[in-house]
Amino acid sequence: MALDVDQRLERARRPGFGIGLLKGMRVLLKHLFKRNSVIQYPDVKQDLSPRTRGVIALKEENCTVCMLCARECPDWCIYIDSHKETLPPKREGGRPRKRNVLDRFAIDYALCMYCGICVEVCPYDALFWSREFEYAEYDIRQLTHEKEKLSDWMATVLPPTELEEGADIPGQPSKAAPAAAAATQTATPTAAATAATPASVTSSATEARPGQAQTAPREGTAATEAARPAASAPDAATTPAPETAKPAPGLAEEVKDQQMDSTAEARAEPEVKRDAGGAVEAEGSQAEVEDKAEAETPSTPESTAVTQTPPPAAAAPSRPAPRIEDLEQPEDAYARVLDEQSKAGSSPQVAEARAKVARVKAERAMTQARAAAPQEVAPTPEPSGAPGAAEPEPEQGPVAPTPEEKPDSSAPQAEASSPGEDPEAVFERVLEEERAKGSSDAVATARAKAARMRAGRGAGSAGPQEQEGTKGPND
Amino acid sequence: MIEITLTDWQILLVKLLIILIVVPVGALVGGYVLHKEMAHMQHRLGPMYAGGWHGWAQTLADGIKFAYKEDIIPASADKRVFSLAPAVIFVPVLLLYLVIPIDQNLIVEDLDVGLFFLLAIGSVGSIGVLMAGWSSANKYALIGALRSAGQLIAYELPIVLSAAAIAMLAGTLSLVGIVEAQDWPYIVWPPGIGLALFLLFLAGAMAEMALPPFDMPVAESELITGPFTEYTGMRFIFGFFFAETAHMIAFAAIGTTLFLGGYKPIVPWEPLEVIPGVLWFFVKTSFMVFLLLWVRFSFPRLREDQLQKFAWKALIPLSLVLILATGAWILYGP
Ligand code: SF4
Ligand code: SF4
Repeated sequence: MALDVDQRLERARRPGFGIGLLKGMRVLLKHLFKRNSVIQYPDVKQDLSPRTRGVIALKEENCTVCMLCARECPDWCIYIDSHKETLPPKREGGRPRKRNVLDRFAIDYALCMYCGICVEVCPYDALFWSREFEYAEYDIRQLTHEKEKLSDWMATVLPPTELEEGADIPGQPSKAAPAAAAATQTATPTAAATAATPASVTSSATEARPGQAQTAPREGTAATEAARPAASAPDAATTPAPETAKPAPGLAEEVKDQQMDSTAEARAEPEVKRDAGGAVEAEGSQAEVEDKAEAETPSTPESTAVTQTPPPAAAAPSRPAPRIEDLEQPEDAYARVLDEQSKAGSSPQVAEARAKVARVKAERAMTQARAAAPQEVAPTPEPSGAPGAAEPEPEQGPVAPTPEEKPDSSAPQAEASSPGEDPEAVFERVLEEERAKGSSDAVATARAKAARMRAGRGAGSAGPQEQEGTKGPND
Repeated sequence: MIEITLTDWQILLVKLLIILIVVPVGALVGGYVLHKEMAHMQHRLGPMYAGGWHGWAQTLADGIKFAYKEDIIPASADKRVFSLAPAVIFVPVLLLYLVIPIDQNLIVEDLDVGLFFLLAIGSVGSIGVLMAGWSSANKYALIGALRSAGQLIAYELPIVLSAAAIAMLAGTLSLVGIVEAQDWPYIVWPPGIGLALFLLFLAGAMAEMALPPFDMPVAESELITGPFTEYTGMRFIFGFFFAETAHMIAFAAIGTTLFLGGYKPIVPWEPLEVIPGVLWFFVKTSFMVFLLLWVRFSFPRLREDQLQKFAWKALIPLSLVLILATGAWILYGP
């Protein structure tokens, strides 16, 4: 048979001897007269696809210093430094609160291979791709962009593209998740807490990684002492985690590792407490986190470094709630910024992106102000009877919940998605709201669906808007 | 009216001066055409900035740049031979232009042995290449030079034999005589043999100029730049770039003269006679340049042994057969 093939090949070659050469010449001649499609780059710029991996932008206020990006980066080219701040307790006799402050966030673009893993992995939507790519430098050291520069890139990030037909709607749990959600709903409050806790433990455990465990002993013996009795609580909480909650088994194991280490244990515990409200936290919705970051910002003046003594609780800050009438309408803000930007000579894309940012900010301010109004009437909302995450807290350990948590967890049910509200009604309502705000159809439907899902689940999880509202007055 | 009488010597000097100006300018334009044609055939744009309009001054800018470069002679090089070699390469190329009839009377010297002179001078350049390679004290340069010498011997024969056939047909060695002797239709005359001779000449010319696909002497992926590896600055550009382009144009002109009817109109038609022969010559030469470049950009480089095989086993027997056929045509043809 081999001969046959050879013969066939031979025959195929023979009539074409030399023809191939002419064919090649013909191709070249055709190209000589074809329209040239070269884009003369520095003069003419290509309209790059919206998903172009140009540069990574950091939304600093979203970053919780969870270190996931730095850990997942295959090149280890993300540098994060942070420190802990102890905030005074919200209420007399409460426990001081802790939070992470981002000191340094840098990406070394000389090492980065633009794999995008950091953007994918960030659970808090703090990293984004931007299409800008012209940041070559003469000095390789300049390619390490610090957080200021990374934040500047945010202005060039395009708004997310419209979802494709039939795409998964963001924020919607995957197929496996509804089961977990159902379990949360039907189980006892304790079970709800366990579902909530691992998520927060995970984040705190990862936070503990970059050598912060060493700082824990310095946090003051009182805190450590107080935490120790409770140390068993997260243990108990995390055991059922793989079945009921989101975190990957690997992460849960890490959590356990952490807990074997006594210092980390002591440190992780307050974290758990802080987030114990936390079905909310487990949801990990962007708005919630954003709000958290914002909520904490005004308190910074009073905040203290780990080694400092906390100021009296009385000094707890409160942000004056702005009045709705004083606020700029989102559309006005959009138009104004667009105008300013185009006058300042920004490119249309940048101008639009900045204008959109302004609009979002204005919207957020509005919702916060709106939510603040009813809160002033009832300053200390009591946990409602809903099967929320607030209830299980006493069972979690001897440590009393810090004052800020109660409103955190209870408010969503108390106010926003009142318990028992029909999911369909929620769907309709959110849809209306979104339409009124001028969201695109796809977004509106997506948010409405998300709200319906949460309502159906009934646990302490509400739509991002509502959460924002309830969080505002807690500062 | 003032009579300007020039002695023969003065006339010759003016003609030489014209050659000295026209050839480098032609080489610059040829280089630009090379850049552009190659770029567009490969779906690029080529030079776009130098000079403003479509990078028309690119070759000029290149030349100026090279002129300012340091002239480096390797320590172990044979200095005198090394510095002489580019001249030995470039001057013969200039001399080629002396005998090419641009129009019936527009020729520096209509030598009786014009064709012989062309072939003889055309091979001198290879000596320069050999000098350059040997004196550079560089293995790449030496290998390149030896390849060049081998190539010259192998491909000079087809060129000489095809030119000899043309001389037989025309009955003269004078280039003007050859052009005058050519009848319409130029290439395919005598039938079949003419075209074959033309292709033979093209193949030989490309090999002699070391153009791809016959550019083993300078094969940049194996030998860097072959014999010119050690050259810099002006020597490099005269020995290599300039000589290459000028050589190419010269061979295009020779091909035009021998096969395409030189300065005669494309078709022997009364109204076309009005157009001066210079223009016809220019058009035909441009076509030849285009053809050479087109082939050059289309084909990949052969291997050294394939090159030799192709010459000795295909081209030379073919040219011998063609000589016989031409003789038969002259004896028994119409
Ligand atoms: S895109 Fe760059 S910084 Fe991000 S994970 Fe990949 S290599 Fe690291
Ligand atoms: S993954 Fe996101 S939130 Fe976590 S440290 Fe990185 S940027 Fe910040």
